[in-house]
Amino acid sequence: MAGSRSDWENSRRDFLRAGVAGASLVSLSGWLDVLAANAAETKTKPRKSCILLWMEGGPSHKDTFDLKPGTKDAGEFKPIATTVQGLEISEHLPKLAKQMQHAAVIRSMSTSQGAHGPARYYMHTGYREGSGGLAHPSIGSLVSAELGKADFPVPNFVSVGGKAAFGAGFLGVRHQPLIVEDPSKGVESLSAPLGSSRFDRRIGLLNQLENGLLRTSRTDVGVDHNSTYRRTIALMRSKEAQAFDISRENAAMRGAYGETDFGKGCLMARRLVEIGVPFVEVFLGGWDTHKDNFPRVKTLSGQMDGAISTLLSDLKSRGLLDSTLVIWMGEFGRTPKITSNAGTAGRNHYPRAWTSVMFGGGIKGGQVIGKTDKEGAEVVERPVSGIDFLATVCSILGVDYTKENQTAIGRPIRIVEKGAKPIAELLA
Amino acid sequence: MARAGRSGGAIAFTAAFVLILGEISQVGFAADRTRKDDSPKSTTANGPRAQLIANLIDRQIDAQLVRDKVTPAGRADDGEFLRRVYLDLTGVIPPVEKVAGFLASTDPNKRSKVIDELVASPKFGEHLADQWENLLMLRDSTNKRLKSQPFYDWLAERFNKNQRWDEMVRDLLTVTGTQEENGAATFYIALRTPEKLTDQVTRLFMGVQLQCAQCHDHPFASWKRDDYWSTAAFFSKVRAGGKKVGIAKNGVESVNEDGLGKKAPDPDSALKLAPKFLGGDRPTIKRNEPYRPVLAAWLTTRANPFFAKAMVNRTWSQFFGRGLVNPVDNVSDSSDKSHPELFDQLAMEFAENGFDLKMLIRGICYSNAYQRASGSSAAGDHANYARMAVKPLTPEQLYDSLATVLGTLREGRERKGGKKAEVTFSRAKFIEFFDVPDGADTTEYTTGIPQVLQLMNSSPMNRNAKIVDELIDAKLPPEQGVERLYFATLSRRPSQAEMAKLRAFLKSEPQNLRAAYIDILWVLLNSSEFALNH
Repeated sequence: MAGSRSDWENSRRDFLRAGVAGASLVSLSGWLDVLAANAAETKTKPRKSCILLWMEGGPSHKDTFDLKPGTKDAGEFKPIATTVQGLEISEHLPKLAKQMQHAAVIRSMSTSQGAHGPARYYMHTGYREGSGGLAHPSIGSLVSAELGKADFPVPNFVSVGGKAAFGAGFLGVRHQPLIVEDPSKGVESLSAPLGSSRFDRRIGLLNQLENGLLRTSRTDVGVDHNSTYRRTIALMRSKEAQAFDISRENAAMRGAYGETDFGKGCLMARRLVEIGVPFVEVFLGGWDTHKDNFPRVKTLSGQMDGAISTLLSDLKSRGLLDSTLVIWMGEFGRTPKITSNAGTAGRNHYPRAWTSVMFGGGIKGGQVIGKTDKEGAEVVERPVSGIDFLATVCSILGVDYTKENQTAIGRPIRIVEKGAKPIAELLA
Repeated sequence: MARAGRSGGAIAFTAAFVLILGEISQVGFAADRTRKDDSPKSTTANGPRAQLIANLIDRQIDAQLVRDKVTPAGRADDGEFLRRVYLDLTGVIPPVEKVAGFLASTDPNKRSKVIDELVASPKFGEHLADQWENLLMLRDSTNKRLKSQPFYDWLAERFNKNQRWDEMVRDLLTVTGTQEENGAATFYIALRTPEKLTDQVTRLFMGVQLQCAQCHDHPFASWKRDDYWSTAAFFSKVRAGGKKVGIAKNGVESVNEDGLGKKAPDPDSALKLAPKFLGGDRPTIKRNEPYRPVLAAWLTTRANPFFAKAMVNRTWSQFFGRGLVNPVDNVSDSSDKSHPELFDQLAMEFAENGFDLKMLIRGICYSNAYQRASGSSAAGDHANYARMAVKPLTPEQLYDSLATVLGTLREGRERKGGKKAEVTFSRAKFIEFFDVPDGADTTEYTTGIPQVLQLMNSSPMNRNAKIVDELIDAKLPPEQGVERLYFATLSRRPSQAEMAKLRAFLKSEPQNLRAAYIDILWVLLNSSEFALNH
């Protein structure tokens, strides 16, 4: 086990160092000139990407994609028809209703974690929080590790609008998400505050010192340090960095996505997928509707209806929808029963039966997977567990979900735990 | 491999101790042995013993280097040594004046003097508290809002007064009361399940990685699920409860074994077993008796060699970047042991002489092995201690060191009451942002692109620093100004080649010396040498 660990580390390190060593062959003037060498590399073939629209708090399935008209506690919303015959969704999602031919609605999600933290952890990683004493990598980090391009100037996992996305865990810092807290502002500290000529001057001096004068520049970790600086400077100077600047889009496009943080996040996600980022997570919070369920779900539905339908049509018109899987989900659903909380109608946490939706990504669209009973309380057909779901996502993206990663102590941990069965009906 | 606590292991341990005693008594340990149960003595009174520990380390390591025909690196120069010992003992680089004084001093004992001075400073315990809070707390979604200050204070105070390690662990494991009453209660409030407690206690205090055996028999060690759950049973009575339960509300929770408070639900893998010592006997405990004191007493007894070994290995790794056994918390099952005799002897020395942590640490720092240069890679791998390992600064060390140079990194104001603070670059936020995964190799570089962006482009890294004002006000010649900047950041003088480059840089913008100094400071703070403890 110690052997497997060091093999793994060495391969990771050797890769990083190979970039630097290779650079000195083509350039005599230092490690920063690797930039030019990288830029000249040939384009790699396009691969699939994933946009996870994370509905923080747990959206009410009965008030969005699994309505139960005419039953007890059906709620205030009416169902409307969609482009898919027999598939009805909430009246507050009219634009999405016109895009449902791209969608697979999974109405039979069934999990066991009913508290926010552990449920978020489980749905992001496929593992119970704390199990085996490990920090498990989030699906974004797993995809970064499997599909990410090592020489790409932008990190392969970007998280937009959220503060507490789960990270790389034992996969290490290269697969940590780059977090964009506010999509209007883009990446924090992405540009040099004193201007690029001053920055270039400083980097020139740093380059001279790192070129063998400092005591650490030839040590293994020193090389890793310089390699990370090189990648960061490459990002700052790259044209790909413009993908984080949504003000480059015209007003009509920005308007169609919506002037909300979520709309802006979806727009940024499209720009990132367009340049080849394999995993983007966009947060929409506020779904924890213990109180004021109906007015709040209505408002949130309005935000996501415009943003997601625009995202889908935009991806489609750019030829990216078939290669981009868009996922709509939260950590669980909400109680079929309406409860009274401080005089308002609410719904509480409910992991036993809930809904997630997938769009695009080359799946067979226009279908419903599974079924709940007449009150949306029990799964009566084709239950889908958290690990089934993640195995499906991996299969769609072309990731081998049975692969084992190694932890720092050499423990083999599968990408998705044993027992997971991908939803075959979705896979085209 | 002998299991922890099994009587055979203890006998072997004692026998080995008798063997080593002969050797140690020749150099003067015998007299102290009779007082082995005393509390650790004051650090200054025991200089010779720390030197004997250093000799023990060097004898074993040098012998192996000779066997392997490896020529070790030379002694680290004063600047390298000073920066290293400050970072390792106090978690921060030395201040400018200290560097200037140390480099100028001709006192032949200046190294051991500075080691003793730092071990006696309050920052020593604070730095250890930073490290042990991280090791013990295991932050996750269930405890991320739990305040840790009481725990940190508890740890720092005890490390500073050098409480015996066995006593400190007993106090921690048997704690009762609220965080306010006893900071150690944080441990049980943070780790609310028998599983988490079992994982942590076996890993940190026995050097046993038991966590895999929670759900299945351990694949490459002899641990079974029964072993796991009969250890976990010792924590089956402990509760963190009280009138207001719930961390989110920061309610007053009181740790107890009286059944007050809600029991965490067992996972599916749980087995219902009576408490049994790991690899040892099943104790008889009366029904009304608390379980934890029984476990704590057994765990910390001198006859249990794994208790001392776990701490010696952990402490060793904090200085050398790797354990004498690796992985660091797998003392009992790993085959990756570089110096087994040295390891046994150090563990015995620690156990038989009052679990005196300050003494162990001073011994390590006095050793030639610790004081070797790191840079030359021709000297061989750091695994045989032919050269010092190079370790990236931890987030805590990085923040505190940047703050030492720049004055402060904080921007904005913190709201009272520890609630959400709109502060960029507060220490806590910085540490969270630069966080390293648990169990990561401390010699691996783990800083990523988002962190480097902050180091290069955030405003605290780009504004005027007080040290630059001082250089301008003092009207120092540029060469001396540059030297001060090197003292402040790299704890050394610039080399001639560096000075030549920097002189040229200063000449390129003669009309604005301040800007040139700011640029040089920025470059030094972003250099690999600053980011690394070497």
